[in-house]
Amino acid sequence: MDSEDDMHDANDVESVDDDFYSGETAMESDDGDAADYEFIDNDSDEDDDPVSHRSQNYTILNEADIHLRQEDNIKKISSILSISSDEAAILLRHYNWSVSKVNDEWFANEEKVRRIVGLLEESRALPRGKELTCGICFEVYTCDKMSSAACGHPFCVTCWQGYISTAINDGPGCLMLRCPDPSCGAAIGQDMIIKLVSHDDREKYERYFLRSFVEDNRKTKWCPAPGCDYAVDFIVGGGTFDVTCRCSYSFCWNCTEEAHRPVDCDTVSKWIRKNSAESENMNWILANSKPCPKCKRPIEKNQGCMHITCTPPCKFEFCWLCLGAWSDHGERTGGFYACNRYEAAKQEGVYDDTEKRREMAKNSLERYTHFYERWATNQSSRQKALADLQQMQNIHLEKLSDKQCQPESQLKFITEAWLQIVECRRVLKWTYAYGYYLPAHEHAKRQLFEYLQGEAESGLERLHQCAEKELYSYLNVDGPSKDFNEFRMKLAGLTSVTRNYFENLVRALENGLSDVDARGGTSRTGGSRGLGAGSSKNSRNKGAAPPAARSRNIDDSGHWSCEYCTFANVRSANVCQMCQHRR
Amino acid sequence: MTSPSASSRKVLSKIATNRLQKELMEWQVNPPAGFKHKVTDNLQRWVIEVNGAPGTLYANETFQLQVDFPEHYPMEAPQVIFVPPAPLHPHIYSNGHICLDILYDSWSPAMTVSSVCISILSMLSSSTSKQRPADDERYVKNCRNGRSPKETRWWFHDDKV
Repeated sequence: MDSEDDMHDANDVESVDDDFYSGETAMESDDGDAADYEFIDNDSDEDDDPVSHRSQNYTILNEADIHLRQEDNIKKISSILSISSDEAAILLRHYNWSVSKVNDEWFANEEKVRRIVGLLEESRALPRGKELTCGICFEVYTCDKMSSAACGHPFCVTCWQGYISTAINDGPGCLMLRCPDPSCGAAIGQDMIIKLVSHDDREKYERYFLRSFVEDNRKTKWCPAPGCDYAVDFIVGGGTFDVTCRCSYSFCWNCTEEAHRPVDCDTVSKWIRKNSAESENMNWILANSKPCPKCKRPIEKNQGCMHITCTPPCKFEFCWLCLGAWSDHGERTGGFYACNRYEAAKQEGVYDDTEKRREMAKNSLERYTHFYERWATNQSSRQKALADLQQMQNIHLEKLSDKQCQPESQLKFITEAWLQIVECRRVLKWTYAYGYYLPAHEHAKRQLFEYLQGEAESGLERLHQCAEKELYSYLNVDGPSKDFNEFRMKLAGLTSVTRNYFENLVRALENGLSDVDARGGTSRTGGSRGLGAGSSKNSRNKGAAPPAARSRNIDDSGHWSCEYCTFANVRSANVCQMCQHRR
Repeated sequence: MTSPSASSRKVLSKIATNRLQKELMEWQVNPPAGFKHKVTDNLQRWVIEVNGAPGTLYANETFQLQVDFPEHYPMEAPQVIFVPPAPLHPHIYSNGHICLDILYDSWSPAMTVSSVCISILSMLSSSTSKQRPADDERYVKNCRNGRSPKETRWWFHDDKV
């Protein structure tokens, strides 16, 4: 056992679990509990997708799924409006793949829709006559060398190919192609395009067609992760915007930045702009440099005396303090390391404004740097944790299973711990953007925020330590360790405590730390204890999930996974064989 | 008035040459009213004289259009500009660039030099005031170094003038 303290923590959680039942009536009226139950309900769905903690209001689509949906929509419209699937595709494309919009518009005014989209009521054949003149190259051809869209305007096959291929290579506009005749406007269907173009162009066209379904559709977006080909279909309304793609990247569906709860989209975009902004460079220049009094180029003075020589070709020599020519300086002005003219003028207030601005810029820059550094550090820690998780899954779990004589299915608690670490790093990272924009004058909120953030940091540190260092001591042994099950309980306990703490942290920050306002009033949870109190209470709730939710944890083989330590128990057992936790 | 982008242009494709020869023949038989093709031996650049239509603001005025054809004409639009001095018109810049959709986004290979000329004359004839576009100075400044109007992202404000 590495640390008694930590063990005590984990056991502590276990013992309060048992207390919960007696305390239930007292908690019943607390609004917060209702929300907690809801969370636990969803929680048990996690088995197939441990990353998301909420019920899914989105679907991940691969290319085949997208095709299927697209085909489906086309079939639907084609059968409802009794038009060809070619025409249905043109209509849907025009109305951004919204089946209901197509229906509404069509049945409101079919004639108008046909005119706008370029669908003719009846298709016309090529003009009669043995020979026809192509409207593009003006050559004369026999009918069999000519082709036309539904409008009957004849063009030779070569010109059609040139026309369509030019459009395809011009971009997605090829999806809205019309007859080349300037007075016409008849839409050109997919069939004709595919029949006429080269293999390469056909692939390009079909790519645009598929992309259009995702990009023009208001309900779908591509996963923004680099190299990921999945799309996400999202049902707007209710719930958060957080989406976890099958590639495991989590992002915000609303702004497509990476998942950023508890911070809202506006703050994120502000923060990202700030991070990349010229404005910060400008601030830096303002704070740390002065323009050469002669050529006006900004000069950074990083060390040395006040005698500055501007770089060639300017070469102007001046005093950093008063910006006067150095030739006016010397013994008379107080020597080389001080400038009396500056001191005197400063006392008269001549430099006050610029100096003040400089000082402010410097302070604000320091403040920003403070938050940015911590934001970025958590970002890289998260990347590291992700890599560690991968390594754990790919290499260590197998080895551990071997060393400790545990089936890999019984080691799920380790993966869960690491997933939790990754998630915590993400949350923690964004709390720094949150902190940066928290108004300075809200002292109570700042204090609470800093306290909560500090607790979160140390809680996560404890979990990380356990999942990393302590785990290794079980990995590098010759035979099964006697206390491995104690380790299991400890790590599972820490994971659950940390998860609850961070869940509450996110909620508290999303509520704008409104607890602060209630503090002086009748807050029953005891505001002074902040989330610390909430977390231990919630960890109790966690153990006391309603039976209905718990039974869902039974897997195909009839095993039930312990809520607390994730041990897979046989169906007949009512108490976890590992931690004695009641089912 | 040689623009660098035109002189460095690739030679006409076979299809383009055939089509231009046909257009030229048709022009000689049946030229659009108010236009005169200045004969040269360069099929890739046409210089066309435009006479302002009688009874319009441009009556008795003569301008010159320069039409340069790309390799893949007519799949790609020709570049059409007025040789300065260009007519004073709300959609014609002082460097001769013309803001007209059929010359750019709305070009179709079924259009011809003749049909483009008629559109330009109709644009001139319907003008009610002789003035430059509001952003003339800025635009012309941006177009130095012989930038082609086909590289401009055009907004086609209205089709009234």
